[in-house]
Amino acid sequence: MTATTAPEAALGVLPRADGSAKYSHAGYIVTASVNGPIEAQRRDEHPYEAHVDVIVRPAAGVGGTRERHLESILQSSLAQIILVRNFPRSLIQIVLQVEHSPENDYVNTKLVQANLNFAIMPALFQTAVLALLSAGVPMKATATATAVALSHQDGSKRTIVDPSPREVETAQSVHVLAFTSHDELLLAESEGDFTVKEWDDVYETASKVCCQSALQKEGIAMVLDDEDAGGPAMRHFLRSTMESKVAADLHWK
Amino acid sequence: MPREVEPSLNERQFVLQALQENLRLDGRELDQYRPLELNFGEEYGVADVTLGKTRVLAKATAEVTVPYTDRPLDGIFTIATELSPMTSPSFEVNRPTETEVLLSRLLEKTVRRSGALDTESLCLVAGQKCWSVRVDVHVLSHDGNLIDAACFAVVAALRHFRKPDTSMEAGVLTVYTPAEREPVPLSWLHSPFCVTWSFFGEDGEIAVLDATWLEEQVRMGSCTVSLNKHGEICQIAKLGGTPVDAVALLQCTSVALTKVKEFSELMDRRLAEDLKRRDKGGFMAQLRADNDR
Repeated sequence: MTATTAPEAALGVLPRADGSAKYSHAGYIVTASVNGPIEAQRRDEHPYEAHVDVIVRPAAGVGGTRERHLESILQSSLAQIILVRNFPRSLIQIVLQVEHSPENDYVNTKLVQANLNFAIMPALFQTAVLALLSAGVPMKATATATAVALSHQDGSKRTIVDPSPREVETAQSVHVLAFTSHDELLLAESEGDFTVKEWDDVYETASKVCCQSALQKEGIAMVLDDEDAGGPAMRHFLRSTMESKVAADLHWK
Repeated sequence: MPREVEPSLNERQFVLQALQENLRLDGRELDQYRPLELNFGEEYGVADVTLGKTRVLAKATAEVTVPYTDRPLDGIFTIATELSPMTSPSFEVNRPTETEVLLSRLLEKTVRRSGALDTESLCLVAGQKCWSVRVDVHVLSHDGNLIDAACFAVVAALRHFRKPDTSMEAGVLTVYTPAEREPVPLSWLHSPFCVTWSFFGEDGEIAVLDATWLEEQVRMGSCTVSLNKHGEICQIAKLGGTPVDAVALLQCTSVALTKVKEFSELMDRRLAEDLKRRDKGGFMAQLRADNDR
């Protein structure tokens, strides 16, 4: 239930896959493996570009329509940043295995039919990007994602970054946004009731979380001591993870 | 889907000749396992087993359902083994391969049919309500000896698992959430483990434990023995391959027993460590109001 834990990641955790990553944030733990470019099946083969195949596997139970929906959203947004035209007639396969997702302690859940929450999407997305980086798949840009929930409590509006399952349940609307490293909006999925004004606020909050680099954050922290902005600086996190991985790989003696 | 890469002729001969000379590529003895590690997750019923480069994650879950009509006094216990392309790109989603079928069959025979979990204790209201316990086996990385690792993970997950507490009052069944009452462990009767032998050589005269993926690809046959630490054999599966001498098989079973004793000791130790880590000092410690100074 601790929603404010800092994101953590490990790259290259699986020895046999081309690239892999384990990512944990806000109670979600996801492991991803990337294989590619590999031989595509005849039905998936595209004469001009690589087929990006995303498979989401829940920790318990069989996947259903929700998982297929998440897969299709992730597939279309990841295909935007991977340079698919470099690998015609091939396949880039991304498998996302959910290991743990935070549970609502006050409800006993039904489990045979797994139903993944909307709020898991940033974790899935981030793991996929990290695994793609680990596999060395050429990409136009890296990307960062976050979830924002809007809830109304006694007349006042509250914006929650990385909401817990309980907060998602009580929220008016939940939004998942992803930005590329060029500050472009890559993915915007929303659920619930909201106005355009509210969406603009969400956009502001999410872009602050996703697009802020470390230097800016320090500057703000020094001037305003800005604590309530909420959420970690995702781009800085991605960069520092990669930097430490590269440093470890080059340290060969 | 791309086919699994097969070892080349040179590779094959190198491995086989080394085994003839009692040598293995990773420097192990013929009857030595790779380092086996067991870790438990934050929640109950998650076991992460690492055996060399093979890694299996098992997660146990439970929910209340209606029992099967022909078995009104039994709960439901299922083991789901689905190999994803994460294991190897040659596995496809929703299309079981032979490996997957054999794995789920062996786990079924070892854990379910041997009566390791008392399914009658899962019954809540005869013919109406029962627990359905499900174990999901996720193979994250496959470097040989999947069966032993998966079986160890399943047993560990089930022994670590706690199901929600229930009570019956005046015909009303109440299932308590974790916030209301501490979950309770399953009624577990014995812990069976699989030990897989691989046979090499013309007549299968070289028996090797814990084969890696490369060794599995060049072996002549294999035999899986499932038994618990008391030496009670649950099943022996010798599916095809070269015929093996009966005396040699007996020898294999007795070695398997020593391995199983090591396994169950490791699991007991890890479970005790995990229990200690979770134990906050009992009920009185939770009620305490004074600070640690």
